[in-house]
Amino acid sequence: MDSQQLTTLTGVIDKKMNRQLKQYMDICARCAICKDACHQYVGTGDFKYLPARRAELIRQIYKKYFTKSGEFVPALYEARDPDDNLLDELYDSAYACTGCRRCMYYCPFSIDTAWILSVAKAILIAAGRGNEMLGQLADAAIFKGDNAEMFNDVMISGFEDIQEEVREITGNPNSRIPVNKEGADILYVALAGAHTIRPAAVIFEEAGENWTISMFEAANYGFFYGDTDKARLITKRYIDEAKRLGVKEIVVPECGHAYRVAEMFYEAWSKEPMPFKISHILEKVDEYIKSGRITVEKGLIEGKVTYHDPCQIGRNGGIFEQPRDIVKAVTDDFVDLIPNRQEQWCCGGGGGIVAMDEFKETRLASGSKKVEQLRASGASVLACPCENCRLQIEELNEMHGLGLQVWQVIDLVVAAMPLKGKKPVHV
Amino acid sequence: METYLWITSVWGVYLTAIVFFGGMGWRIYEWSTTPKSAVRLGMFPKPKSGAGRFAKLLGDTFIAPQSAKIEPTMWTFAFAFHLAALGAFVGHGRLIKEFPVLPEMLGEAGMNTFAAWTGSIAGIVMLAGVLFWIARRTYGPFKNLSVPEDYLLLFLLLGVVVMGDHMRFVYGGTIHAGVYRDWFMSVLTFKPAFPSELLSSNVSVSLGTHMLFADLFLMYFPFSKLVHSIGAFSSNLVRSSE
Ligand code: HEM
Ligand code: SF4
Ligand code: SF4
Repeated sequence: MDSQQLTTLTGVIDKKMNRQLKQYMDICARCAICKDACHQYVGTGDFKYLPARRAELIRQIYKKYFTKSGEFVPALYEARDPDDNLLDELYDSAYACTGCRRCMYYCPFSIDTAWILSVAKAILIAAGRGNEMLGQLADAAIFKGDNAEMFNDVMISGFEDIQEEVREITGNPNSRIPVNKEGADILYVALAGAHTIRPAAVIFEEAGENWTISMFEAANYGFFYGDTDKARLITKRYIDEAKRLGVKEIVVPECGHAYRVAEMFYEAWSKEPMPFKISHILEKVDEYIKSGRITVEKGLIEGKVTYHDPCQIGRNGGIFEQPRDIVKAVTDDFVDLIPNRQEQWCCGGGGGIVAMDEFKETRLASGSKKVEQLRASGASVLACPCENCRLQIEELNEMHGLGLQVWQVIDLVVAAMPLKGKKPVHV
Repeated sequence: METYLWITSVWGVYLTAIVFFGGMGWRIYEWSTTPKSAVRLGMFPKPKSGAGRFAKLLGDTFIAPQSAKIEPTMWTFAFAFHLAALGAFVGHGRLIKEFPVLPEMLGEAGMNTFAAWTGSIAGIVMLAGVLFWIARRTYGPFKNLSVPEDYLLLFLLLGVVVMGDHMRFVYGGTIHAGVYRDWFMSVLTFKPAFPSELLSSNVSVSLGTHMLFADLFLMYFPFSKLVHSIGAFSSNLVRSSE
């Protein structure tokens, strides 16, 4: 392969190198204990989706260019160049990975395959092989950040429409969706859909919260794409907004990766301390219920309810109990999926895979474990935070005729609140 | 035969010691001088107290309960192997100095019987572990995932274990630790010599070959995936602290 390209690609590994990555490269025993942890490998049986195999592709380059033993005896490690063959396979294994880190949970050395694949994505991008769809979505978000005035009027009139709906639900003509409110305590950064704003607004208003809505979305396609610079710029949009408005706390929506990006990654990307508290909306809702700031009634939700832990807020974010406590506050008929919490199966819809049509077949096949779990639970209602999880599970629901109602947790909460207005329709 | 022993069991030992300790030192130096990830890679849930976190780190590294849950068969063989390897390592301490307390309790003959039993068990368990791993790497995804390094290590390990077992099961009744200690201490004190019991018996072939494999295995160790033996602690930190 040409030496210019080679220097560029090995340069990416060099730039991304840190102690953990080095150890991951050096210590994997290729024991394949991670094999049955990955829903994609289990669902498809395709070797390229075996977690250690995905990492092995990066290890092959590492061995050849970053270790003496691999340089002298490459055959011992099957060390090789990042040529077209390698990059082809790498593309599939890196962009299909949902970043659930279930493989890491079961690995005896906690090897973070998803992290290794973030390096893989950086290599692919440097080779001009990044996923186009994710790249475009990321660029569009950055464009919006750079040209915020252009979108201002559309956004505000959108919020006004939603405000009307909120008033109908609360039955309170003073319910608001505060826009650009300086001195608010909370900046709520939703997703693009009204369904992520409406129930949140009902809850904030009923709790008497001093909040304001962000002009930007918490979704971060730069993160899925694998470009930390883009990911940083997309997050920076609402960090700057929060600074301008002088809020104390940023609340992200149910979306899983949005929480992890803000809470775990942004500080390292921006190289500055995060000046705000970051909360997941379900942490806030749990607080409101427990402190009596909002009231929910049992019996308004019919049927057995279960809960799916999105990987990014569960295993990777540490939020296990608050959503369960919320669900248990609205129903007596709760059953957990098995396994659950840190062992929860990934639904198969994370990591931006729902936006990439080319992986549709893999994605649907990878839902087999989730389908088994949902069936076995006997539940008819699924409380499911995270937009990506819901898109995936709704598709599985239809495909396998599970007959489940799939709800956002905040929709369940609003449905269980004794409000004067009209009941929201479940979407 | 004496030349073979001098190469594998004297000069080979010196060379191995240099390569092994130098290599491991280099490995630790490289790891510790590479900055940690700026991004928080932690996994949840984590214990709240410092003591709880430390206990979790030890548990995760020595017991790997998560791996046990998902791959019980593999875990059982791996756990048994590592335990037996640890036992064998401790047992080899007799090459330097007779254990305290035990010989007084058991008497000299009793000590040799005890060592024969524990050593035999460890030897058999290690052999079973190695054979299981080799077998596992001959089919399906395990085969596809394996690279020559994996087979080389297992082959060298098999050599070490088989020859060790050979010495134990064939000559165990006649040649005891004291004889090997004379040789090993002579190497450690840089006055290498072989006791006549060793040279006059065919056990010298077994010892030489055991040492040949051990030398090669330990010289390759620092440049292989076996550095997991020291790396596992810091890589597992993500479960408890980071
Ligand atoms: C302390 C935590 C340790 C853990 C969690 C651990 C775990 C493992 C695992 C999962 C394997 C995979 C076996 C395979 O599929 O080949 C393995 C192999 C092995 N480990 Fe360890 N190990 C540890 C420490 C050690 C130590 C201290 C040694 C020192 C001698 C060691 C020596 C070996 C050897 C020789 C193998 C066989 C390698 C092979 O398959 O080629 N391990 N270990
Ligand atoms: S479980 Fe861990 S050590 Fe074993 S093959 Fe998978 S990544 Fe490597
Ligand atoms: S992070 Fe999840 S999807 Fe990616 S390799 Fe590991 S188990 Fe599979």
